[in-house]
Amino acid sequence: MVRFSQFVRRTPLAWFNLTYERRRLLTSLAGVAFSVLLMFIFRGFENALYDSQVQLLKLLNGDVVLISPLKNNMFVPEQIARQRLYQAQAYAGVEAAYPLYTTTAYWKNPETRRTRPLRVIAFNLSDPVLQLPGITESLRQLQMPWTALLDQRSRPEVGSGAAGTLTEVDEQQIKVVGSFELGTDFASGNGNVVMSDQNFLRYFGRLGPDEDSRDLSTIDLGLLKLAPDQAPDVLARTLSEALPKDVKVMTKAEFVEQELNYWRENTSIGFVFSLLAVMSFAVGIILVYQILYTDISDHWSEYATLKAMGYSNLYLLGVVIQEAVILAVMGFIPGCLVSAGLYKLTANATGLLMQMTQTRIINLFIATVLMCLISGAIAVRKVQTADPAEVFGL
Amino acid sequence: MTRIASSTAVQIRQLSYFFGQGDLRKQVLYDIDLDLPRGQIVIMTGPSGSGKTTLLTLIGALRTVQQGSLQVLDQEIVGLSRAALVTVRRNIGFIFQAHNLFESLTASQNVEMAVELLDRWGDKRQKAVQMLSQLGLADRVDYKPSALSGGQKQRVAIARALVNQPALVLADEPTAALDKQSGREVVTLMQELAKSQGKTILMVTHDNRILDVADRIITLVDGRLETDESLAS
Ligand SMILES: Nc1ncnc2c1ncn2[C@@H]1O[C@H](COP(=O)(O)OP(=O)(O)O)[C@@H](O)[C@H]1O
Ligand SMILES: [Mg+2]
Repeated sequence: MVRFSQFVRRTPLAWFNLTYERRRLLTSLAGVAFSVLLMFIFRGFENALYDSQVQLLKLLNGDVVLISPLKNNMFVPEQIARQRLYQAQAYAGVEAAYPLYTTTAYWKNPETRRTRPLRVIAFNLSDPVLQLPGITESLRQLQMPWTALLDQRSRPEVGSGAAGTLTEVDEQQIKVVGSFELGTDFASGNGNVVMSDQNFLRYFGRLGPDEDSRDLSTIDLGLLKLAPDQAPDVLARTLSEALPKDVKVMTKAEFVEQELNYWRENTSIGFVFSLLAVMSFAVGIILVYQILYTDISDHWSEYATLKAMGYSNLYLLGVVIQEAVILAVMGFIPGCLVSAGLYKLTANATGLLMQMTQTRIINLFIATVLMCLISGAIAVRKVQTADPAEVFGL
Repeated sequence: MTRIASSTAVQIRQLSYFFGQGDLRKQVLYDIDLDLPRGQIVIMTGPSGSGKTTLLTLIGALRTVQQGSLQVLDQEIVGLSRAALVTVRRNIGFIFQAHNLFESLTASQNVEMAVELLDRWGDKRQKAVQMLSQLGLADRVDYKPSALSGGQKQRVAIARALVNQPALVLADEPTAALDKQSGREVVTLMQELAKSQGKTILMVTHDNRILDVADRIITLVDGRLETDESLAS
């Protein structure tokens, strides 16, 4: 066994060989950093895709959700009778029930006069449905007719949403009285608007003959708040059996999972991004292999001499593996930092939820080390085989 | 492992060696018989392509023996496992025509790489510096090879080969890359060290001017031992 003290005192050949030529080291590190960056970007898009889809769902204040059985994702504009929510409220363990209304409406950019579809989220202002900074402070202003809050993280094409802005939604006057931050996803497209259920009725209650007018007796989503000691899955099961089949009852976790499954199974975007991330990984392997192989072949006769002196294959493997790990660590740090910057840029430009969590950083770091180790294992193969004199042509 | 050292450092019997396979198979060594007594300095000469390097790498356990018997420092190396061969190599100092020093390491660090093989950590630098000083490089220990002359680099390589006091030293044209004077210096240093420590040296050289350091000169021609003459010292 190699003791730690030996490890420390041993001449750090891997380090010296890697750092001897600064120029080459920098090129190598840039290469590793670049493949780290590619992996971060593709994984980031993939994660953003899923994170964004369920962001609103996770924020909704409820333990159990009632929706139409046809609504297998948030895109489907199917409603349920509000009556079902009140039926559910009568069950023991349910403390409160909140109806939620959503629709898509055309928002006019006050500067360019162009319209873009936004998702409208509406609820009774006395219900704590969406407790986000910006919303809770603006409840009083939202009580005024023809008012709404605009999502600050809507796409820039939607235009300024500063409080006081006057514009139109579905060709009817609207006044922006504040803002909040949510962000876009597939169902919301360009961003979000929050308003009171009363205003929802004002805007969408009397639509043209070829559109479905809305009223408050059908809701898009029902939220149940449970007593602290009530298990959501038990209650969801009870309600599922008790209520008519025109409503689907799920815990919030199941609801989030259903939405994720829909996007996983019905789009190939997730697959495409995974594939791109895997390809970046493969490109990284080839790149690091090139770096390590160049080092080995440049020091062919020196390594042969080490073998002639009595160093084992294991030692040589160790040197190459150390070089691989050094490259992984030193390349990962700049790659990660640049990626963090690009995540911010992407999030600002698209409104997508680009999150760099600790787990994701650790996972990609492990992937990077693995990438370098695989390269090292391939690069060192030739040194390992046969007689030293044969390999090195002494 | 305790072993009573015999008076022979290398014993070769009926050693043949072939390169290539099938139709391309070509014999380069023919039935070599050779004994090298301990403490002897032997010079091997012969025309280029006669098999000198091949024989040296076989003795140095850098190549697998195909036919015949080869005992190095009282151990039969035919049929030894790879791990056992590694151990044999640690008792041999090998000096190549090229210095083969790591450009990224200082002279001292290059030599220390050899000391570390003995698991000696505390005094490795001291041993390296001492060896380099014996070879006249006391003021060059912390220089990288790029800052050393050809002769100095070859002396570092010799220090690396000798620092662990190997019982057997194999040198393949160690002076070929050096000018006349530094070649002479290097060989004289090797001779002094060998004599003071009782080492066996087998050195390949074409250099007629250094033949006088040898106790014995053998000649290899077309893979066969042609002449073997001992010199009166
Ligand atoms: N790796 C090899 N493969 C095939 N033939 C080789 C190889 N190495 C050396 N030879 C051949 O073996 C013969 C002996 O080579 P070598 O031992 O290097 O001779 P010397 O050192 O005396 O010049 C030469 O004919 C050479 O061409
Ligand atoms: Mg030769």
